[in-house]
Amino acid sequence: MSIAAPSTQRNTFTGWLLAPGVFWMILFLVAPIMMIVYVSFWTQTTFAINSTLTLDSWKNFFSSEAYVGALWTTLRLWLIVLALTFIIGYPAALFVGLLVKSKTVSTILLVLCVIPFWTSFLIRVLAWRPMLGKEGAINIILQKLGLIDSPIEVLLFSELSVIIGMTQIYVVFMVGPIAFMLGRIDRNIIEAARDLGAGFGRIFWKIIFPLSLPGVVVGAIFVSVMVLGEFATSGALSGRKVNLLGNIIVTQVGSLKWAMASVVGVILTILLGIVVAGFLRIVDLKSEL
Amino acid sequence: MVQSESIFRLDGVTRRFGALTALDDITFEAPQNEYISLLGPSGAGKTSLLRVIAGFESPDVGRIHFLGRDITDLPAHKRGIGFVFQNFALFPHLTVFENIAFGLRNGIDDIADAQIGDRVREMVDLVGLSGLEDRVPDQISGGQKQRVALARTLVMQPKLVLLDEPLGALDANLRGRMQTELRQIRERLNVTFLHVTGSETEALAMGDTVAVLDRGRIIQSGTPEQIHDTPSSSDVALFLNRFNLFDGKLSADAFHGPFGPVPAANVCQNPTDIYAIRYDRTKAFRKGDTLPGPALPARFLASEYLGSSVISFFETADHKQVEVDHHLSFGDPDNYKVGEEYVLSWDPRHAIVFGQEAAA
Repeated sequence: MSIAAPSTQRNTFTGWLLAPGVFWMILFLVAPIMMIVYVSFWTQTTFAINSTLTLDSWKNFFSSEAYVGALWTTLRLWLIVLALTFIIGYPAALFVGLLVKSKTVSTILLVLCVIPFWTSFLIRVLAWRPMLGKEGAINIILQKLGLIDSPIEVLLFSELSVIIGMTQIYVVFMVGPIAFMLGRIDRNIIEAARDLGAGFGRIFWKIIFPLSLPGVVVGAIFVSVMVLGEFATSGALSGRKVNLLGNIIVTQVGSLKWAMASVVGVILTILLGIVVAGFLRIVDLKSEL
Repeated sequence: MVQSESIFRLDGVTRRFGALTALDDITFEAPQNEYISLLGPSGAGKTSLLRVIAGFESPDVGRIHFLGRDITDLPAHKRGIGFVFQNFALFPHLTVFENIAFGLRNGIDDIADAQIGDRVREMVDLVGLSGLEDRVPDQISGGQKQRVALARTLVMQPKLVLLDEPLGALDANLRGRMQTELRQIRERLNVTFLHVTGSETEALAMGDTVAVLDRGRIIQSGTPEQIHDTPSSSDVALFLNRFNLFDGKLSADAFHGPFGPVPAANVCQNPTDIYAIRYDRTKAFRKGDTLPGPALPARFLASEYLGSSVISFFETADHKQVEVDHHLSFGDPDNYKVGEEYVLSWDPRHAIVFGQEAAA
C-alpha cells in the first residue's frame, strides 16, 4: 500500500499534466474531424442542408469524373513534387550538412534557404507569373538567346507551372531535415570507411544514405502533408486548369455545399493518414532522433 | 636495405595548419612487427601524425614510405593501413558482424561471401565477441565497441595498424585488460601497432619501442627502459612524469640549483639548464639527519597512498612542488606532519643533469 500510494499520486499528477493537451486536441482536432465525417452523410439540397443521413454525397463524388479526376491529379502531383524535392533537395542537403566543414557556414546556408519564407506565401506563388508567362523572364531570355522562336506557352497556367511552383516552395522542407541528419554523422565514421578501402560511391550508399534516411522520411512527411492539402499554388498558377482535392473543398465551401466539402475532407484526411503511416514504417523515428 | 627492415619511414614530414606547425620536419623509421607507442602531451601533433600516415591528410613537405613504397600521394583507401579511432567510429546502423565485414564487402578487392563469413567469424573469435554478432553498436559496452573497432581493422589484414588513444574512452579496470589483450593480439597476427597515447605509464607498459613527440617533433625514441632511465632531454623527463625537475645554472662542472652547488659529471645537451632526479630516488629527512647528497629544505604538504607506494608532496621555499615516491617494499613510510619543514636529499649519482653546454 505504501508503495502503491505514491505511484497513484504520480499517475494523478501525470493525468493533470496531460489534461490541457488532451482537452485541446479533443475540442479542436477530434471533435471537428468527427463532425466532418458526420456532415459528409448529411442531405444536401441546392440551397439547404439537413441532418438526414444519406450516402448521396459519397456516391456523387465517386460517380463524378471531375472529382475522381481531382483525386488522381492530387496523387500524381504529390508524387512528382515529392520526387523533385528529393532529387533537388538531397544534393543541396549533402552540401550544406556534410561537405561544408564549418558549422557556421552550414548554419548560414540553411538560413539562406529559409529567406524566401520572409515574403508571404501568395507573393512567392504569384512571383512565378512574370517568370513563367508568355512574355515572362524565361521566355524573353530564351528568345533573346535564339534558342526558341516563339514563346513556350506550356510554362504558365499548366500542370508544369504548378509543379515548378510547389517544388520551389517546398524543397526547403526536404533540405532541412536531411541536412540536420547528415550534420550529425560523425566524420570519423566516414574516414573509417575510407580507411577500410571503400570508395566514395560505396561510402555514400552504405553509410551516408542509410544514416540520413530518417531525415528523408521527415522531409517527405512535411512535403506530403503540405502538397496533398494544397490549393493556393494550383489556383494561382494553373489558371483553374488543375484541380486538386484542396481546390474542390474551397469551391464547395464557397458555394455552401458543406456535405460534398466534407466528403473531400474525409478522403483527404484518410489519404494523409495512409501516407504518413507509410513513411513512418520505413524508419523507426523514435530510435533515430 | 634499410627499407626491408622498417615498416614505415617518414622523411622530413611537415604539416602546417595556418600559422600552427603540427608536424615539424619529422624523420622516423619504424621497426617491423613491433608494438610502437607514441607518447606526447595533448597538442603535440600525435593525431596529426597518425592522420598523415593513414592518408586522411597529406604532408606539406616530406615523403612517407610504407613497406618500401612511397605512399605520400596514395589515397587513404588504397594504402592498406588500419586505423582505430579514439571514439571507435563504428557504423551505428550496422550489426557487429556487418561492421567487421564492411571492409571485406566494400573494399577494393572482390571477396566471395563465404570467405567473408569465414574471415569475420575467425576475427570475432580472436577478439572475443562471439554471440554478439547481431547486436548493433548501441547495444554493446565500451570495451566491446573497442574490440569491434579493432576486429574491423584487423580483418583487412593490414601490416600496420594505427591506434589513436585506443584506451582513452575506457574505464581504468578495462584499460588494464585491453593493454594485455592488444599486445597479445598483435603478437598473434605479426602486425605492427602504432599506439598513440598521452599516458606515460601506458606508453612505457605497452611499447616495444617508445617514441616521444613534442611540438611536432620526435624528441626521443628507444626501448621503454632507455626512455625511462636516460631521457635525452628535460622535456622527455617532464612527460615521463617521474622526475623532479629543478631550474638552475650549470657552470664548469657544478650545477647551481635551489639546493646549492652540486657536482655534475655527465651533462646531456639541452636548451636550458635543468637538474632531474626521479621521484623514487628523492628521499625526505628530518633536520639533523645525515644526508646522502645535496640538501633541499621543503615543507610537507600531503601524501597519496597508491597501494604499493606512497607519494608525498613537499613544497620548497620558492613554492616549487617536489614529489617523493616511497615504495612500501622498502619499509613503512615515515609519518610527516603537514606544514613542518624537512630536508629532501638524494644520491647525486642518480641525478641527470641537462645543460646548454654538453659534457663540460
